[in-house]
Amino acid sequence: MTYFPEEVVEHIFSFLPGQHDRNTVSLVCKVWYEIERLSRRTVFVGNCYAVRPERVVLRFPNMRALTVKGKPHFADFNLVPPDWGGYAAPWIEAAARGCVGLEELRMKRMVVTDESLELLAKTFPRFRALILISCEGFSTDGLAAIASHCKLLRELDLQENEVEDRGPRWLSCFPDSCTSLVSLNFACIKGEVNAGSLERLVARSPNLRSLRLNRSVPVDTLSKILMRTPNLEDLGTGNLADDFQTESYIRLALAFDKCKMLRSLSGFWDASPFCLPFIYPVCAQLTGLNLSYAPTLDSSDLTKMISHCVKLQRLWVLDCIADKGLQVVASSCKDLQELRVFPSDFYIAGYSPVTEEGLVAISLGCQKLSSLLYFCHQMTNAALITIAKNCPNFTRFRLCILEPGKPDAMTNQPLDEGFGAIVRECKGLRRLSISGLLTDKVFMYIGTYAKELEMLSIAFAGDSDAGMMHVMKGCKNLRKLEIRDSPFGDAALLENVAKYETMRSLWMSSCNVTEKGCQVLASKMPMLNVEVINELDENNEMDENHGGLPKVDKLYVYRTTAGGRDDAPNFVKIL
Amino acid sequence: MLVMAECKGRDRSPSSSMDSSTHPALSTASAACWPTRPDLSTDLRLGLSLSTSLSSSSSLQAAESIPSMPSRNQVLLSWPPIKPFLRSALAASASRRRRQQTLFVKVYMEGLPIGRKLDLLLLDGYDSLLVKLCNMFKTPITYADVYQQQVPGVKAAHFLTYEDQDGDWMMVGDVPWNLFLTSVKKIRITRTDKC
Repeated sequence: MTYFPEEVVEHIFSFLPGQHDRNTVSLVCKVWYEIERLSRRTVFVGNCYAVRPERVVLRFPNMRALTVKGKPHFADFNLVPPDWGGYAAPWIEAAARGCVGLEELRMKRMVVTDESLELLAKTFPRFRALILISCEGFSTDGLAAIASHCKLLRELDLQENEVEDRGPRWLSCFPDSCTSLVSLNFACIKGEVNAGSLERLVARSPNLRSLRLNRSVPVDTLSKILMRTPNLEDLGTGNLADDFQTESYIRLALAFDKCKMLRSLSGFWDASPFCLPFIYPVCAQLTGLNLSYAPTLDSSDLTKMISHCVKLQRLWVLDCIADKGLQVVASSCKDLQELRVFPSDFYIAGYSPVTEEGLVAISLGCQKLSSLLYFCHQMTNAALITIAKNCPNFTRFRLCILEPGKPDAMTNQPLDEGFGAIVRECKGLRRLSISGLLTDKVFMYIGTYAKELEMLSIAFAGDSDAGMMHVMKGCKNLRKLEIRDSPFGDAALLENVAKYETMRSLWMSSCNVTEKGCQVLASKMPMLNVEVINELDENNEMDENHGGLPKVDKLYVYRTTAGGRDDAPNFVKIL
Repeated sequence: MLVMAECKGRDRSPSSSMDSSTHPALSTASAACWPTRPDLSTDLRLGLSLSTSLSSSSSLQAAESIPSMPSRNQVLLSWPPIKPFLRSALAASASRRRRQQTLFVKVYMEGLPIGRKLDLLLLDGYDSLLVKLCNMFKTPITYADVYQQQVPGVKAAHFLTYEDQDGDWMMVGDVPWNLFLTSVKKIRITRTDKC
């Protein structure tokens, strides 16, 4: 290969599908390392503290797209205290210094400031796509900077971020010369936007394919927008909650009729059932439908709508749909690949209108199902065994029984056998979340059968250290392990310390790990950051037999080449 | 009851005795969703006890082996595991729907032919019910033995009863507030000397 000119080698590398393979070829020899690094266009950093931003920029000066992820996944459930970290600024500043050709930035669970957004907007002349997911720390002023200065902006996608609202000005900051928008998602923006500005922006964006509005946008604005966007493929509705006048309905129906390319619908904030019939005409062409923000729709409203959606591949819905609604889904949506059923009234655990019966019905009717997130109030081993047999193609299986530690609803046994069947039958399973009453046996099954498993989430499960040890020993492809409220202690933590270097991270909260155990881990594995997060002191008084040592409240362990981080708050101790 | 309209979409009742899980008042429980198990710290017996399925010994055994539970606030915010965006959207929606709903019941005092009407959804528990009724009828009232013990020396002339969905007259205060709300039809303030 050294006989080939660099351009040829580079061209060969361009066929490599992913970062993993490019990382591998760069290890072959110095020449290949150099060629690879200078031609790498897309860089993915799964943990922002695993490597220094300067080092990434130095190695890949020609990168065009950068993805960085910050806080651990359990931050989504308020388990990571505020001010823990995950700051975007060092990344944006490093890129600004060493990589001005950057075009796309994706960030997830990071703290982004307005100053960083302004720096981003003003530094990268070819910048065209900003995707922020579950981020916080910025306001609509930061968005104004992006809108004002990114002349070639194609994508502004804000998913579930915590954004401080400083008024509707930001949307008006898109200059008249900005005609390149392909995707605009501001569903998470809390405040109002100027309807006129929005309509004009849409009118001058002929390439717009994805538009997700926030709940402030009224029906009439939506109708006007849809008349202008016949090529729209993905729509997030605005406000459909009002009992609006008949003319508004008719205009909306006419507008929807024009959108022959529409494939995906979301929004439906507190949608009124009256608006649904006017959406029926587009249902037959939909492949994606997200109704998780419409607790106002009951089972019959939902089933009437979904029964028209015969091409549906992805459905997100609240448990208001009930078991009988899921039966309708099973009989109507034969192409379903991904289903998420969220709890609608989570103040009350122990009751939800969906049970194991709904899921069994789905498994019978939707043979292509591969991704599931299901909140319910009860489950049985028999149902899980049936589901596993019906749907061996699961790659993601997340089951959350609302009441922690709840046994099989029929037999009162643990759900070990049910989940055992899932991991045995679904040989391609990459992600698993378990719940209900579970003993160490389920972990034995997981360790034995879940060979492709990459991410495992455990809550209120297991009897002893043996449980976690089964997983650490058997799951060869495990990358992320997150555990809460389970009786795993130092012995489990220290059983297989070398494994942590093959993983992205380990999270353990409210388990039986002590600080001594963490210190041992840190001393044995210097290439890991062992972060002990102790917010509360009350828990320490509650444990009995742990050598009198206080238990660690939260533990976050990750491999890193960057050493201990210097932006940790005082409640985080890095061992 | 107006609130029953929400239940029309469902065709089965839950395994517990609650038949109106979408009852807006149930969402007002400041307690979250923790089941009561005898061996867990009282920190976690948060208000309403709904679970009836924890009677098996295997579940208790498992409960004993689970280490000390997280603090109340953590339980409230970190379970069930849904994203904050969805959590706040649903909470906002629930409170919007709650504000639109009322639960007016007739209240009669023994000896008075003309009754009053009271919106129970404006109250948050038995204590505020008692206070409200004492103010309305200008007489000390009590209910259920437990509460009598808590206020020694106050021998009320009246106590509180209610008619439930079966038509039976029951003493107020024995069941959790939210369960009471789903079954109460009328309230009657009865004289203690009759009992």
